[in-house]
This record gives sequence, structure tokens and C-alpha cells, in this order.
Amino acid sequence: MKKSLGVLLALLFVTTAVAPALAETVLEKINRTGTLTAGTRTASIPFAFINEKNEWIGFSIDFLEAVQARLEKKLGKPIKLDKKEVTPATRIPLVANRTIDVECGSTTYTRGRDETVDFSINFFFTGSQLLVKKGSGVKSLADVAGKRVGAAQGTTNEKAVRAQQPRADLVTFQDHAAGFLALEQGKIVAYVTDGILLAGLAAKTKNPKDYEVVGDLFTKDPYSCIVPENDSKWRDFVSHTLMELIDNGKYFEMYDKWFGEKGVVQYPMSAQVRNFMIMQSMPE
Amino acid sequence: MLLAGFLGLQYDFRWSVLWESPFGYWLLQGVKNTIILSLLAWVIALVLGIALGILRTAPWRVPRAVATAYVEFFRNTPLLVQLFFWYFAVPQILPAGPIRDAVNSLNVDTPLLTLNYEFLAALAGLGVYTSARVGETIRAGIQSIPRQQTEAALSSGLSLVQVYRHVLIPVGLRIVIPPMATEFLSIFKNSSLAVTIGFAEITFQTQQVNSYTFKGLEAVTAATLIYLAISLTIAAFMSRMERQYAIPGLIARGATRE
Repeated sequence: MKKSLGVLLALLFVTTAVAPALAETVLEKINRTGTLTAGTRTASIPFAFINEKNEWIGFSIDFLEAVQARLEKKLGKPIKLDKKEVTPATRIPLVANRTIDVECGSTTYTRGRDETVDFSINFFFTGSQLLVKKGSGVKSLADVAGKRVGAAQGTTNEKAVRAQQPRADLVTFQDHAAGFLALEQGKIVAYVTDGILLAGLAAKTKNPKDYEVVGDLFTKDPYSCIVPENDSKWRDFVSHTLMELIDNGKYFEMYDKWFGEKGVVQYPMSAQVRNFMIMQSMPE
Repeated sequence: MLLAGFLGLQYDFRWSVLWESPFGYWLLQGVKNTIILSLLAWVIALVLGIALGILRTAPWRVPRAVATAYVEFFRNTPLLVQLFFWYFAVPQILPAGPIRDAVNSLNVDTPLLTLNYEFLAALAGLGVYTSARVGETIRAGIQSIPRQQTEAALSSGLSLVQVYRHVLIPVGLRIVIPPMATEFLSIFKNSSLAVTIGFAEITFQTQQVNSYTFKGLEAVTAATLIYLAISLTIAAFMSRMERQYAIPGLIARGATRE
């Protein structure tokens, strides 16, 4: 017993001794390791998903590659982009404990989350809606009282259903693919997530015409990248990357690639959103 | 804060999220659901496991082959995959129609828990998977009994069924209490996988606390301690049982030591 206590104390001593070394900024860490460790999703179409050819691609991943390219320019050396899978339940803890340097997927910027992590400027706008089978009779959140509704655990959508429709029987899933399968099999009557993701899920099925996205947006979901709290240099770096892309027009090309006519999900940018994006970019 | 400092983390601990309303209540709900799921699954595992142990050792060729196939299938595929199989694939075997729809959308509130297909799939998955492992343990127990005991029992006029009923099963079960304790502990820990099919057990509720408070480290620490507490309680109970039912002179090395 005494011996193990001694070992424990020694361990604590060692960890205390190395503690200051861990308190480096994200940019210092990337410079030291030569690796950008980024979290992203695997079934958030078209933000970050795995396609039929088993490639991990998407709008958010294009943005991560832009961050990587800007890092290489700034640090003057090749930086490896190491993509890690996150789920809605794991993304915030993994950024908070600095396992990953940045998460870009389909994460809503909320003030509550901002208490724990920091956010870049917004790169997309959407809100909660319901995906249902055609002819289900469900037209809005009011119609699902007493019915089984699905959502991904830990999302803003899940919390919105609990708060705005407490009489629904909520079933939670770890990712959107599982939730969609449950909808297809009739385990739930509606699946709730951001409208754009629902359109993406429906677009990927064999019979997209069997499904419809219904209801008004019952939450406001502006997407941002998550970065660790209290590291404003790194948050600026990510935000400024996006500003540069907006200024040189590459952001709109990227948008068109994924949401345009030939995109995975057709979702043309409204004039309002275009203006907002331009306004978000601060002068040099 | 002290712990965070030792670990070199830049993180503010807030342990009160574990008992603040409603998070403390959620965690308790999770504990209740884990215990219900694990105990019921254990009943299934024991009943099926004893049957498998018998069939795997009995001299009936066809049942033995069936039991062997069952054990090899369920023991050698990951439980996570099996849970998805029970949840997403099994109901689709039913013909399309009202019965299948009723199974898929089952939702009945009972005093203990909400009876839905998420729970049934978790129960079946966990029970069947563990039954294959329990079956192997019981087979080992039966096979460790000297052949002469079976022969003696048979020559005293007992039928094979009676030999199993009065000799092999009682003795075999008592021999395998220590490995069975391990299986019993495993079922509680494995039940955490039910989160993947939406069953609200402890792991689910800790993720829920995390998603509302963003205090993931506290939530995971709580889950760890809860599982540890459950496991240690079971371990203590099982080692008592082991002492009580030890066969004198057989596996008495640890058991008779007072």
C-alpha cells in the first residue's frame, strides 16, 4: 500500500513537472508536430461524409484543406492534415481537452457552447426541420406529439425537440445515417436535424422522391468551426482563412461545388446569406 | 482544479453538474436502466447458456452441431455489430405489414421503463451474445468432471437426462462460478454499447449530461465510478457465492481459506 502511494506521488510529481510544456498554443503545437489534427464528421452530407468511392470529402473538409494550405504558407513547411472522426457527442470534449486542434463539420455556434470552446466566424446557415416519408401527415413539429421522433444525440436539434415538443417520444442516434435508416424502417415518423443535412440525406437515397423536408425552421443554426477556448491567435487564424476565401471568391466557388447545380445537394445561396458572408469578412 | 493542475490540463472542473437538477436524475435513470437491462439479459444468457452447455456435451450429434454453430457465430462476431443486427436487420425479416410496423414503432410506458424496440434489441443482443460465452464456460465445467462420475451415475440406473439433472449440471455449475462471475461483470460493462441503438443507460445519460453542460470529463468520470461501483458490488457478491458453493477438496484452494 505504502509503495503504491509512493508510485502515485512520483507520477503526480512527473506530470506536474511536464505540465507547463502542455500549455502551448495550438499554432506552437502545429509548428512543433507538423500536423494539423482536425475533427470532422462522416455522415453530414455534403459537409463531411464518406462517398461511394470511400473518399472522406465535403464542403467543411475543403475548408480544412484551406486552413492547412494557409498554415503551410505561414509556417513555411509542409503540414499534415490529420482528420479524426467526431460525433455530436464527442466534438466539444475533444476540442476542449485539445485532442483536436479544430473541428469543422456541421456544428452550430451557440452561446452555451461558447462557454466551453471558441468558434470561428460562420460558414453556413440553416435550421431544424423534419424529414418525413411522403404522405405521413406530419407537416410541422406540432404534429409529432405522442409520436416517435429521431435526432442525433448531443445536437441543437435534439435539445430543440425536447424543449419545444416535450410530448414527442424522442429516439436518439449516434449519427445521421443510423437515424435515416430508422426513418426508412418506420421506427420513427420523423427525423430532425438541420434542413440542409436532411436534404443531403434524402438526396443520397435510392428514392429521394419518397421523402420530404417539412416545417418551418424551428431553430437557427449558423455553422462555425470549433477551436479550443482562450487561444485567440488560433481562432483568428481559422476565421481569417475564411475571410480570405470570401474576399478572393474561393468560398463561393466551394459553395457552388457542393451546393450548386452539379453539387451533391442543390441549395443555392440566397442573396441574404451572400451579403452576410461578405459582411462577415473584415478589412485587412 | 487541483486535479486539472496535476494533469496539466487547461480545463475548469465543475463537479456539481453530476448532482444538479436535472442531471443527477438523468444519471440515476441511467443506472436503473443499466441494471434492468443487464439483469434481464443475464437471465436470458443463463437459461440459453445452460442449454448450450448441455447440448455441446451431450451425445446427440445434430443438436450438438447446432449448438456449436450458434456458439461460434455469436461468440466470434463483435457485440456492437450484433446490436445493429438486432436493431436494424431482425425486424426486416418479418413480412412487411402491420406486425413489422408495430415491432419497429413499439412504445409502451411501464412503471419500470419505456418498453420500446430499442430496449428489446439491446436485451436480445446482450443476452444472446453472453449466452454463447456462458455456454462455453458451462461446457468447460461439465467436461472437467471426471468421466468416471458419469459412468458411475449411468451404471447406478440413472438415465442420461437424470445424470445431467442430478450430477453434471449441479457439479459443473459450482465448478465454474469464478469464470461465471467474470461473465456477469462483463454483461454490465457490455451493456454500455446499447447507447449506439438509443437505449438510455448510463453511458447514454453521461453523454446527455455532457451535451447539455459540455462538462465531458466530469460526466465520463462519473460513468467510470458508477460502473466501478456496480462491478465491485457484484464481485463481492460473487466471491461470497463462490465460497458458499465451493466443492470441498476440488477448487478449495482459495475457497476454504477463511
